[in-house]
Amino acid sequence: MTDSDQGSERVDVDRRSEQGPAGAPGGPGDRGGRPDQAMTGGQRRAERRAAVALAVAILAGIGLFIVYFAGGQTQIEGVLFAIAFGGLGIALGVWANHLLDAREVVEERHELTSGAAGRQAFEMALTEEVGPVLGRRSVLVGLLAGAGGALGLALLLPVLSLGPAPGNSLKVTPWRRGLRVVDEEGQPVSLDQVPQDGFLTVFPEGHEGTADAQALLIHVRPGSLRLPPERMAGVPEGTHVAYSKICTHAGCPVSLYEQETSRILCPCHQSQFDVSDGAKPFFGPAARPLPQLPLGVDEQRVLIAEGDFTEPVGPAFWDRGRQ
Amino acid sequence: MNIMERTFKYLDERLGTASLARATLRKVFPDHWSFLLGEIALFCLVVLIFTGTFLTFFYTPSIREVVYQGPYAPLQGSEVSAAYNSVLRLSFEVRAGLLMRQIHHWAALVFVAAIVVHLCRIFFTGAFRRPREVNWLIGIGLLFLALGEGFTGYSLPDDLLSGIGLRIFYSVTLAIPVVGTWVTYLLFGGEFPAPDIISRLFVFHIMLIPALLLALVAVHIAILVLQKHTQFPGPGHSERNVVGKRLWPEQTFKSVSLLLFVTAVLALLGGLGQINPVWQYGPFVPYNVTSPAQPDWYIGFLDGALRLGPPWDLTLWGFTISEVFWPAILFPGIAFGILTLWPWIERRFTRDRAEHHLLDHPRDTPVRTGIGAAGLMVFFIMFLEGGNDIFGVLLNVTVETITRILQWSLVIAPILTFLVTYWTCKSLSRTRLRPARINAGVRLSRTPDGGYETVSLEPAATDGEREPAGTGQHGS
Repeated sequence: MTDSDQGSERVDVDRRSEQGPAGAPGGPGDRGGRPDQAMTGGQRRAERRAAVALAVAILAGIGLFIVYFAGGQTQIEGVLFAIAFGGLGIALGVWANHLLDAREVVEERHELTSGAAGRQAFEMALTEEVGPVLGRRSVLVGLLAGAGGALGLALLLPVLSLGPAPGNSLKVTPWRRGLRVVDEEGQPVSLDQVPQDGFLTVFPEGHEGTADAQALLIHVRPGSLRLPPERMAGVPEGTHVAYSKICTHAGCPVSLYEQETSRILCPCHQSQFDVSDGAKPFFGPAARPLPQLPLGVDEQRVLIAEGDFTEPVGPAFWDRGRQ
Repeated sequence: MNIMERTFKYLDERLGTASLARATLRKVFPDHWSFLLGEIALFCLVVLIFTGTFLTFFYTPSIREVVYQGPYAPLQGSEVSAAYNSVLRLSFEVRAGLLMRQIHHWAALVFVAAIVVHLCRIFFTGAFRRPREVNWLIGIGLLFLALGEGFTGYSLPDDLLSGIGLRIFYSVTLAIPVVGTWVTYLLFGGEFPAPDIISRLFVFHIMLIPALLLALVAVHIAILVLQKHTQFPGPGHSERNVVGKRLWPEQTFKSVSLLLFVTAVLALLGGLGQINPVWQYGPFVPYNVTSPAQPDWYIGFLDGALRLGPPWDLTLWGFTISEVFWPAILFPGIAFGILTLWPWIERRFTRDRAEHHLLDHPRDTPVRTGIGAAGLMVFFIMFLEGGNDIFGVLLNVTVETITRILQWSLVIAPILTFLVTYWTCKSLSRTRLRPARINAGVRLSRTPDGGYETVSLEPAATDGEREPAGTGQHGS
């Protein structure tokens, strides 16, 4: 036993103890005394507190039984669980802080490294035992590596089965020339159906709800669109314009339309597109306009598509601009 | 011999457990609250495993269409996916199901938070320095796995809010240069919303990521035991020792108590704090969206980065680099790259190759502390921007204004943060004031005969081990 060891055997002043001198500058580090000594008042109180906490935990546990069999109730169950666990936690915490012989101890560190000698011994072992085994069979070792590599790559191949080749799929949608424009229920949309300043989410007939085909049909005021003539050709009566509903930034549905300013707003990242100016972005992180869907009208004034979108819909990808 | 002794003898004769167990019981833990942060993360993981196992017994990882016929009236008769249907059933029809689900979700939020705060402790006190660089890397790996686990789990209910999150994630992977489309198609099984995605997320969430997570946690702790804890400088503390309380009994009581408290808090949150009410968001429909839409807090910075990002796409030789690339791939790549390599980056400048077991006080390393604070500020600004629509409504200003202000803040605030932190550290260091510590100075002790005396705080040595060899660095 060393001097310092004996030092820690002394009973330290419990700062909360009434037996200590008033305002004693004792450190709060070590509380409580040896178990073989008489309990201080602080310890007796601590023991009482721990006992009360445990009793409360027991009651909460019983309460959980009752609540569960009575049909269950989320809030009460949560609170009772919290009380039960909390009571146990308090009891153990009080125990740790007041009723244990908390001694500070010192542990020496040991060297982590094996040292130069240890490393040298390992190198020796390598040259003596690995070298002769593998070195003499260099052809076999080379072939072994080759076989391992070939097999390894072959084993990776099934990863390619996880998905289809992207091919052209990101650049086309189900929209075709002549397909009727329908709403999400599959009802054809006629020219007179959408009131001025109104808008509607539309799909190609037979593809209702399809993610990449979703388009926003907007009935704008006459003369408000500023589009080049070839794109105006896809806007029946100059008032029924349709744009892809997939944000060109990160792909959210651009579902907010503000008629006074005739802008489309993406609720995810607040990109804003100017409907009258070809749905070009004018604020926010989106860089490209929403692709336009060229529309026409059939004999019953029902809207039909004149073709697919003018550009690939949705967010950009590497070969987006390639044919 | 009683049954315990016989069991110990049986095991020791076959596995040699006695000496190992003795050494383990005597392991010394430094007595400082900040060393408990990692434990909080670990205990959240325990709660996550237990509640998560319960949830898997009810969850259906399928997007097969079913008609909802449960007790939640607003959705009765609507077509929903089997996954969404099973989450509603778990929430409304399984006794204690909602509680378990909410505790699980809260535990996930606290789990990531505890990891982040633990990481900050390691960073700001220099605990990553030699010989702990390997454990730093493992810790960063654990952070990524925790984020992945959070995101995959959050997406499983197949509700409208998480569906939008998946859509954005899909768009981000599409933006990876060269291989983006292929990676996305292999990961998602085709064009969004591909039918396999929910079942794949499930496999990631309950098998692949947890297996890696648990393996890395085991290695993380094994290395910790092997290298022993760091400690703050103090009387008797040196580079060659660890001063603190033993695993048994002090630390065991403390840790179990902490585990119980963490569980209690999570149970309280899960019981009273409604979280992710997927029935309010509705089932995922690819042409609908919720507004406002905010992800779980730890993804908030990425959502904010997407909102702050410049509208610059780039076309080179016909190939496109998306505007999403800068905020969602390049920025996190650089930020987490610096974080991951920090031990080596710092060493390049300090040229300090020595082993360190005594921690730095953040004030004594003003450059590191400043850089860390500036980095946190960057993430904080992005996090704020992630709620720009909510702040816009709350503060009655336009989203445009908030975004512009935060874009400028992103340039200015980190620099200011660095300077303020640097000078604060410098002046604190100069005053030589130290935070009050429990074991500072001398202690008044009561002697067995009833008197009092002051004792110096040279801690006791463990049995069989030598006195503290060096006095080491006394901080004060």
